[in-house]
Amino acid sequence: LAYSKPIPKPGTHTQPFWEGTKNGKLMLPKCDDCSHVHWYPRHICPHCHSTNLSWIEASGQGTIHTFAVQHMTFGPWAEEAPFVTAYIDLNEGDRMLTVLRGVDPEKPEDIQIGSAVVVEFEQANEDVSIPFWRVVEEG
Amino acid sequence: MPAPLSRAAAIVGAAEANEIGFSETPITALQLHIEAIKNVSDQTGIPLSRIEGVFSTGWSTELCEHLGITPKYIDTTAVGGCSFEMHVHHALAAIYSGIIDVALISHGENGHSARKLGSGGGNYGRGAGAASPAAEMTMAYGLGSAPSNYAHAMVRHMHRYGNTSEDYAHIAKVTRDWATLNPRAAMYSKEKHPFGGPITVEQVQESRMITWPLTILHCCMVVDHGGAVIVASPKVAASLSTKPVWIAGAGESMSHGNMLEMGDFTKTSARYSAEAAYTMAGLGPSDMEMAQIYDSFTITAAITAEMLGLAPLGEGHSLWKDGRAAPGGDLPINTNGGGLSFNHSGMYGMPLLIEAYRQLSGTAEDGVNGDKGKQQSARTCVVNGTGGSLSTTGTLVLVSDDD
Repeated sequence: LAYSKPIPKPGTHTQPFWEGTKNGKLMLPKCDDCSHVHWYPRHICPHCHSTNLSWIEASGQGTIHTFAVQHMTFGPWAEEAPFVTAYIDLNEGDRMLTVLRGVDPEKPEDIQIGSAVVVEFEQANEDVSIPFWRVVEEG
Repeated sequence: MPAPLSRAAAIVGAAEANEIGFSETPITALQLHIEAIKNVSDQTGIPLSRIEGVFSTGWSTELCEHLGITPKYIDTTAVGGCSFEMHVHHALAAIYSGIIDVALISHGENGHSARKLGSGGGNYGRGAGAASPAAEMTMAYGLGSAPSNYAHAMVRHMHRYGNTSEDYAHIAKVTRDWATLNPRAAMYSKEKHPFGGPITVEQVQESRMITWPLTILHCCMVVDHGGAVIVASPKVAASLSTKPVWIAGAGESMSHGNMLEMGDFTKTSARYSAEAAYTMAGLGPSDMEMAQIYDSFTITAAITAEMLGLAPLGEGHSLWKDGRAAPGGDLPINTNGGGLSFNHSGMYGMPLLIEAYRQLSGTAEDGVNGDKGKQQSARTCVVNGTGGSLSTTGTLVLVSDDD
């Protein structure tokens, strides 16, 4: 079944990230000078303003920072509603947005901020695989 | 004799992006901006963290977010090729007035590369070529409308302070009470709108879910509005029959554009814009007898009340829950019925200004814009607008002519 949701168009400086997701890797930009990881990818480190940036392979692990349940949405996602969106605190630092998997959108009170999540990738087309995060089962 | 502004500021450095002209590899306008900014910083030895004012043709939010800086003067004047000379003029005035000492004026435009990159969509002023990297990394996940974003801040605020969504519902209930005193409010009465008139906290909670935990009555309306104000010198003000309301303090700030970059989901940059406004006014939160707060959502009003120092962190909602912000309370807030129940057209900053003027000039109870009980006795009012996804803030401290 063809992927029907919006598909990002890789930018001029973000190819290492999209190359990574195609190969099942989560690549993050890291500053060679202050060692901070940042997200989204920039032309300059937002922490120390160095332009000496590299890409590292991340653990693909994180925790839920906050979330919401989308009941009324527009476009291709509308037919999925309700679904849970979440901001993920990456173990390496900084934060990503995702549609959260492994949770029940009808029971938001059961979703816990701070829960562990892992990344997985869904192929949207031959150039782009999109990262999604899934709650790790307890125990 | 030269004007007081004459020589009040100087251009101290100027630089360009690394590669300009017919770039071999297509380059985005954003990258051209950032390279030039980095180069002028290196040339002058002024670290980017010292930039206080950012002037560009519509790019200022994205530039500040990309650089990770929190400016206190933001200008996006975009009137064509002469915009940058105007930016210098505006920066001169800002520096002369003592608001900032260091202004950055930036340009990035990829007229050549854009033809190779094609359109990536984006905002006015961005130019063709690519979506912003923030949009690139968030567009896949089904967000778009304001509540789909703001609900994430509400959940984090609830988690951090142990609040329930019902706590914030009191804001919608009390704000509706104000609307029933304003004949111009969209939700004034059942006669005016089928869903108008008083509402209960239970009705707020049981209304249609938009983005959990925001039900539709936690959300502002989207209707039509037009408004205008005139600001004038004391000399002109003295010649008019209308009552002046004095601008005692003003401040502005921003923390991000895309909510992905909102470091602390429980705080907005109003803590900075309010501090600047209070400092300019020589007044503090305890001097404020009224507040007009952008209430795009109940959570927006709650957080902003905290940022303005009107309530302790995590307890913004209690101003409404305890009745202090309600008709008859000692700190009336959103006396027109707010964006929740008076009027919200998309950008609510103008209605805030109009209601603050009416209240402080004693014209809030005229049978058209207010019933008996709407006019308050407040002589001071803090006004705070919030833009984007809890992104940008502007704060004013206004005082009546009687004060």
